[in-house]
Amino acid sequence: MAVREAEPVNSLREIREAGLDREDLLGIYRHMLVTRGIEERGHILYKQGKIPGSFYTGRGNEASAVGVATAMGPRDVGTPLHRDMGVHVTRGVEAWRIFAQYMGRADGPTKGKDGNVHMADSRLGLLAMVSHLPAMLPVAVGCALAFRIREERRVAVAWFGEGAAARGDTHEGMNLAGVRRLPVVFICDNNQWAYSTPTFLGYGIEHVADRAAAYGFEGVVVDGTDVLAVYREAKRAIEKAREGGGPTLIECVTLRMEGHAVHDDAFYVPKQLFEEWAAKDPIERFRNWLRENADLSDEEEDELSAGVKKVLNDAIARADESPLPDPRTVTDGVYASPEELDTPHH
Amino acid sequence: MAATQTVDVVMPQMGVSVSEGTVTKWLKQVGEKIEADESLLEISTDKVDTEVPSPGTGVVAEILVQEGETVDVGTKLAVIAPEGAEASAPAEAPPEPATQEAAAEVAQAAPAEATPPTREEPAPAPAAQPQPAAATGDGRAFVSPVVARIAAEHGVDPGRVPGTGRGGRVTKQDILQFIEQGGEPTEAPSEPEAVQAPPKAPPEPPAAPAEAPPEPPRPARTAAPAAAEAELTPGEQEEPVTAMRRGIAEHMRRSLDTAAHVTSAIEVDMSRVVAIREKLKPEFQKSYGVNPTYLVFIARAVVETLKDYPWINGELRGDKIVTRNFVNLGFAVELTDGKGLIVPVVKSTEGLNLLGITRAVTDIAERARSKRLTPEDVQGGTFTITNPGGYGTFHGTPVISQPQAAILGTYALVKRPWVVQDDRGQDTLGIRPIMNLTLTYDHRLIDGALAGRFLRDLRERLQTWGEADY
Amino acid sequence: MAEITYIQAISNGLREEMRRDDRVFVIGEDVGVYGGAFKVTLGFQDEFGPWRVIDSPLSETAIIGACTGASIMGLRPVAEMQFSDFVSCAWDHIVTVAAKQHYRAGTPVPITIRLPSGGGFSGGPFHSQNPESSFAHIPGLKIVCPSTPEDAKGLLASAIHDPNPVLYFEHKHLYRRIKGEVPDERYETPIGKARVHREGTDVSVITWGAMVYTAGEAAQQLEEDGVSVEIVDLRSILPWDKQAVLASAEKTSKVLVLHEDTRTGGFGAEIVATIAEEAFESLDAPIKRIAAPDTPVPFSPPLEKAYIPQVDDVVAGLRELAEY
Repeated sequence: MAVREAEPVNSLREIREAGLDREDLLGIYRHMLVTRGIEERGHILYKQGKIPGSFYTGRGNEASAVGVATAMGPRDVGTPLHRDMGVHVTRGVEAWRIFAQYMGRADGPTKGKDGNVHMADSRLGLLAMVSHLPAMLPVAVGCALAFRIREERRVAVAWFGEGAAARGDTHEGMNLAGVRRLPVVFICDNNQWAYSTPTFLGYGIEHVADRAAAYGFEGVVVDGTDVLAVYREAKRAIEKAREGGGPTLIECVTLRMEGHAVHDDAFYVPKQLFEEWAAKDPIERFRNWLRENADLSDEEEDELSAGVKKVLNDAIARADESPLPDPRTVTDGVYASPEELDTPHH
Repeated sequence: MAATQTVDVVMPQMGVSVSEGTVTKWLKQVGEKIEADESLLEISTDKVDTEVPSPGTGVVAEILVQEGETVDVGTKLAVIAPEGAEASAPAEAPPEPATQEAAAEVAQAAPAEATPPTREEPAPAPAAQPQPAAATGDGRAFVSPVVARIAAEHGVDPGRVPGTGRGGRVTKQDILQFIEQGGEPTEAPSEPEAVQAPPKAPPEPPAAPAEAPPEPPRPARTAAPAAAEAELTPGEQEEPVTAMRRGIAEHMRRSLDTAAHVTSAIEVDMSRVVAIREKLKPEFQKSYGVNPTYLVFIARAVVETLKDYPWINGELRGDKIVTRNFVNLGFAVELTDGKGLIVPVVKSTEGLNLLGITRAVTDIAERARSKRLTPEDVQGGTFTITNPGGYGTFHGTPVISQPQAAILGTYALVKRPWVVQDDRGQDTLGIRPIMNLTLTYDHRLIDGALAGRFLRDLRERLQTWGEADY
Repeated sequence: MAEITYIQAISNGLREEMRRDDRVFVIGEDVGVYGGAFKVTLGFQDEFGPWRVIDSPLSETAIIGACTGASIMGLRPVAEMQFSDFVSCAWDHIVTVAAKQHYRAGTPVPITIRLPSGGGFSGGPFHSQNPESSFAHIPGLKIVCPSTPEDAKGLLASAIHDPNPVLYFEHKHLYRRIKGEVPDERYETPIGKARVHREGTDVSVITWGAMVYTAGEAAQQLEEDGVSVEIVDLRSILPWDKQAVLASAEKTSKVLVLHEDTRTGGFGAEIVATIAEEAFESLDAPIKRIAAPDTPVPFSPPLEKAYIPQVDDVVAGLRELAEY
């Protein structure tokens, strides 16, 4: 199976065929705006000393994250990473909780126990990432294994970066998924730089998706700045998995528009690459597409903008009110108690 | 972001391993307006250069770190005040009030010119240290923790228990059996070991004056407040007696009741000491960072002289006279506000030269001043030097620090007209720095002649020693 | 009640758990068709089918990582590492994801990892280790080391039931050598509680795993010399029964800590430190440790004998303590 390169989505009609109507599209656009807004405002907060530790953004990855998340079903699960804030936003995590998480407050999803994007709301079907990438990939495969064992029509989505593709976890996880044709879709966020490591120092093939064939399933390469193209491919793959067709590997290509983290100014990325990809900014792209293909009006735009701004302002204010964690809670929660299990052991 | 209160701008942490940043450029100056999130300054860290957005809207009220300065993450860089409001300078935390009781103001004691001004006597009696059941018997005898505990619980002396363990030690089995078979419990060992162990025999234990932490001394013989509850007359006030004061009172009374206090005095021409000190003072300061005071010169000479007068460094203990081959020298130190005193002890001064003594005294003074003395620091003295002369007095009769046998008092160094020999051997008048030294001694043990000879020899050293002798 | 071998107890226990709760499944290398390298799951795939007894690729990280994901989705996976030595391939996952997920993200990870451990049959450096102490240091994990058939079954049930990741070390050398009475019905042995294997008054031995039997034989010899040895079988390494150990130390005042793992940083060090901290005044002798020397496990029989603590070593240690 050779790698397939995905086609762009050219019209409203096409996207309707893929299952989205105009309302959905505006929703997608909004999610992307909120995602970027959270990261931009968070960046400012970080430089104001209000966010401890480090700060990571997925600027340039908004289309890939929101596109895939939109294609997931309500009972599907996923293991998004630090460039995938759009997944949390699309799945319904409230912005104020994200800021509370950044600021290490007691009302953040991890109650201050972990920082930056190491968070998730498991009720929304998301599992919190760790720093050792891509350790959550085999975990997502495990979720798919559970679905297969129980014969449930649910799908797991496993994110990983093109850099982390070098680790054994990727290989072992994909191999197991391919051997057992598990309902898992692998999303490779290929933003072309793993910290300062360019792709040609990370792998010796042209596309990470080329590896899918090695595991017995299809690989697809898609323009990661085209949210609708991403959505369409993700939808195909997720539904295929749901029907028992096994895994797919989708490689979304974008450029990491900021440093590895906020302390990194990415001097090693050639300037013209930034310029080239800035012209393909996912949010700008989609905005233009909406104006051209879906009659996005100025009023609608203004309304959206204002709405997003309000959400962010309110979110920051609310997060700021959340207290820092009580030091006495430091030893809480090392172990789980039986009451916390989803269903009782009988 | 409220425009209603002042907001601090701090140095952000641009990356997990970054610990400091440099202010490279202020984009606004004091007095200029600024909006929230508007760039206020530029910084440089070892990871990245960036701009810092203002956390609030208002006016730049203060700039605390200048361009080019490098500060730690979290340092306050500037203050934004709401427009129209005064920039209130953050209130300084009031300086810590110097605590009274235990503060050893050895800055006074610290050698400036004069020797440490101290008051009379060493301080209140010590807390008796609980002694672990000391192993007696053969030298190898070792008492394990459980045996020690059982022994203490039952008041048994492990030294009396037949031991079947390795090397003849008493095992847990052994002592349990002993107790079961009704082996007689005894008091804890009666002969005190070195100066440390307070014998539990009736006469006062105190090994040495203890430190400031005021505990009423064991065998608490606090003088019953005699004139008890007379009403105050107009013009009178009262204040409570502190534990330290109570301790001092008890000790002074007891000392005078115990020893037969007699004082002899001698005048010493200190011109040689003055000259040597002039020379050594800058050297010591430069090379060692310590200041040799008159006190340490005298201390050196005293230690050397005591070698010839063991009784003066000794102790009358019941029917025995205890002498030592070491000199643990106590230095009486006044506490701030004259509310009490401490006598820290420098151990084994017989092994120290001038520099050694200077350092030891400097150290103990520093620790007394910063309240870091330990119980060991105020115990075990064998002889004490006190300097009431810091205020100019030329004579005194200090109280001996029990259970020592004597105490040396040093007084003001005064330039006096003095009869000296001219170069033809004729008497003439000169001017000499003279210091009076007193030895107050326990006449039960030390006779006047002995005291006199001691003082004579001490004077001899101070008047004839060269730099190399110290 | 029946008298069965240690391995039979494990197998029975596992089968029972799988019968009573269909969320329990087994995954590992060669566990299905082959019945497991040691035959613990012999016949299981016939009974439970290939999706509950899963033959996985040679991928320890994928095995245990998948268990974590599946457990978060509501199943109760029991992973088998073919030899405890191979768990190092999955060390990252266990320590990074499984151990920490609840503390930092509030998500329980109720997985059980079975680890055939220990030496004594010329398995060499990679088939004989006892790696429990490396994991004892990781908050969030639980660790058990049964030594009797009864405890093997009861602790397995507890491990599967526990909402936390549990490392279950089954000592290979006990599989068929040790037999014992095991109740037929289901029961759970509490994790974190020790068991007094042998009552005594003069010296305490704190130990676990196969060393329990080595200590037993040594104790027998000392009995003949009039020394009464108490043996405490820890059973759980994390959490461990501090109270039971301290009580024994207080009772006899002489303690020997014995384990098959290497000496430096072995879990015995933690036990010794705790006794020194908390039972100092009960001690009538310095605490003694007997453990393997700080080397990989050697292969050739005379070397392996010099490595694994033998009955004679324990006898000598006990004698020394008794005579102190």
